[in-house]
Amino acid sequence: MIQMFSVSKTYPSQITAFSDFYLEVGAGEFVFITGPSGSGRSSLLRILFGAEKPSSGEVIVNGIRLTQPGFKKAYQVRKMMGIISPDFKLLKDCNVRENISFVLEVMGYPPKAIKEKVYQALILMGLQEREKDSILSLSAGEQQRVAIGRALVKDPALILADEPTSILDDEMTGRVMTIFSELQQKGTTIVFATQDTHLIQRYPHRTISLVAKREGGAEGNGEVRSEG
Amino acid sequence: MKGNLFPNLTTIAIIGISLLIFSSFSLIAFNLTSLLKIWEDKFEVIAFLKRGTSLNEVEGVLKQIRQLDGVETVNYISPFDAMAFMEARLGKQKNLLEGIQPAILPASVEIRLTKDYWGQTKIEDVVSHLKRVSQIEEIQYGQEWIEAFSVLVYLVRLTQWILGGLLLAAIIFIVSNTLQLTISSRREEIEAMQMVGANPAFIQVPFYLEGLIQGLLGAGMAMGLLYLLYQVVLVMITPLMKGWMAGIPILFLPWETILWMLSGGTVFGLFGSFVASMRFLRYVG
Repeated sequence: MIQMFSVSKTYPSQITAFSDFYLEVGAGEFVFITGPSGSGRSSLLRILFGAEKPSSGEVIVNGIRLTQPGFKKAYQVRKMMGIISPDFKLLKDCNVRENISFVLEVMGYPPKAIKEKVYQALILMGLQEREKDSILSLSAGEQQRVAIGRALVKDPALILADEPTSILDDEMTGRVMTIFSELQQKGTTIVFATQDTHLIQRYPHRTISLVAKREGGAEGNGEVRSEG
Repeated sequence: MKGNLFPNLTTIAIIGISLLIFSSFSLIAFNLTSLLKIWEDKFEVIAFLKRGTSLNEVEGVLKQIRQLDGVETVNYISPFDAMAFMEARLGKQKNLLEGIQPAILPASVEIRLTKDYWGQTKIEDVVSHLKRVSQIEEIQYGQEWIEAFSVLVYLVRLTQWILGGLLLAAIIFIVSNTLQLTISSRREEIEAMQMVGANPAFIQVPFYLEGLIQGLLGAGMAMGLLYLLYQVVLVMITPLMKGWMAGIPILFLPWETILWMLSGGTVFGLFGSFVASMRFLRYVG
C-alpha cells in the first residue's frame, strides 16, 4: 500500500525533518509512527497524502507515484484515504452531520446513501445526540470524534491518523482503537502517528520510531527504528 | 460570501467607483463625439456677397462656385431668407428685429464640401479660389474650431483609455486581494475539502463565481450611478445651456457600451479571482 524509498524532507529554513527514510507498509497493516516533537511524524503523513512534496526520494501510495514530476492529482489518491489531522480541520460554520456528510457529497454519493452512512458514522462515534449541534459548541474531544467519523465515513482503504486520540478520554480512546482494529481486520491499512507510548504498549502493532533531528541542540540526520 | 460580507461589499464598491470614473469619461467622450459629428454634418463655408450684387451676377457666382473642385452643394441665401432664418431663431423675441429691413443683411452662399475636402489645406484651396471672385466680400468657415475640438475629443478618449487601463489594473489587484482575504479566512474549509479529496475545480469554482458576481455587481452599480449622475446633470445644466446648445441633446451611453461595461466588469472580477486562487489554492494536487 505504501512504499517510501530514500525519502528526505528539508524545509526552506534548512531544518531536516528526516533523511534517507525507507518505509514499506502492506495492505491491511497497522503501523504506529512515533517519535518526539520535531521528529517529522506529521511531515511524513503530509507527504503520504500529497500535501507536501519530499525534498528527494520516491513515494508510492496504492500504486500511484506521488513523486513523479509534475504530478497534480494527489486529490485522487486522497479520495481513497481517511485523513485525521491533529487540528481536525472541521467546517466551523457547519453542524456535526454536515461536517461528516460533505465528504460523501464531494465524492458524489447519492443523498440516500449519504444519510445512511452518516447515521452509521454518528452512531460509531457516539455523536448521534449531537448531530445538529454547531462544531463550535462541541468540546475538543467531541470535535476529534467528528474528525475521526469524517475520516471513516467513506470506508477508506488507507487511514492516515495524526494524533487521533490525543485528547480523547480512556473510554473513547479504547473505542477508537477497537474500531481501527476491526477495520484493519477487514483489510484497511492504518498509519497511526502518536507520541503516546502507553497507547503503543497497550495495542501492540508494528512501530516506526523517528528520532528528533535536534537533540541537545546538535544537528544530525533523522533516524528510524522499526519494531515489530 | 457568508461571513465575508464586508470585504465583498468593499470590493464591489471599489469596482463600482473605478468603473464609474472610467464610464464617466466614456460618457463625456461619447457626447463630445456626437457633438463633433453634428457640427461636421453642418460644416459649410459661407461666402457673403457684396451689397448691390445683382441677381444676374449671383447666377454667375453660383456657376463659378459649382465648378470648383470639392464643392458638393451650393445654396443661395437672399437677404429675405436670412431675415426669415433670424426670425425663426429668435422665436418669441423676433420683435427685436422690428424696423430692420432685410436689405441691410448681406446675401450669402452656403457651400458644402465633399468629405475629402474637410482637411485644413484643401479648405484653404477652395477659399483661395473663392477669394478671387470679385462679388464675394467675406468668407467664413469654422474648420479651425472643429479641428481644435477634434483634438479635445482625442485627448478625452486618450485620458479615458490611460485612466481606464490604470483603473482596470486596480480592479484586478483589488478583487484579487479581497479574494485572498476571503480565501485565507476560509483556509481551514479549503484544507478540509482538499483533505477529503475534493477535485481542485470543486474548490476553485465558488471563488471564480464570487469574483464574477463582484465584477458584475460593481459594473451594475457603476452604470446605475452614472445614470443617476447623468439625470442630475441633465436637470441642472439643460435649462442654463438650452439657448447655447441649440437643441443638441446630451446622450446617455448606448446599450452596446453598457453591455460592454457590464461584461468588462464581470471579466475583470473573474480574472481577479483567478489571480487570487492561483496564489492561494496551490496546495499540492
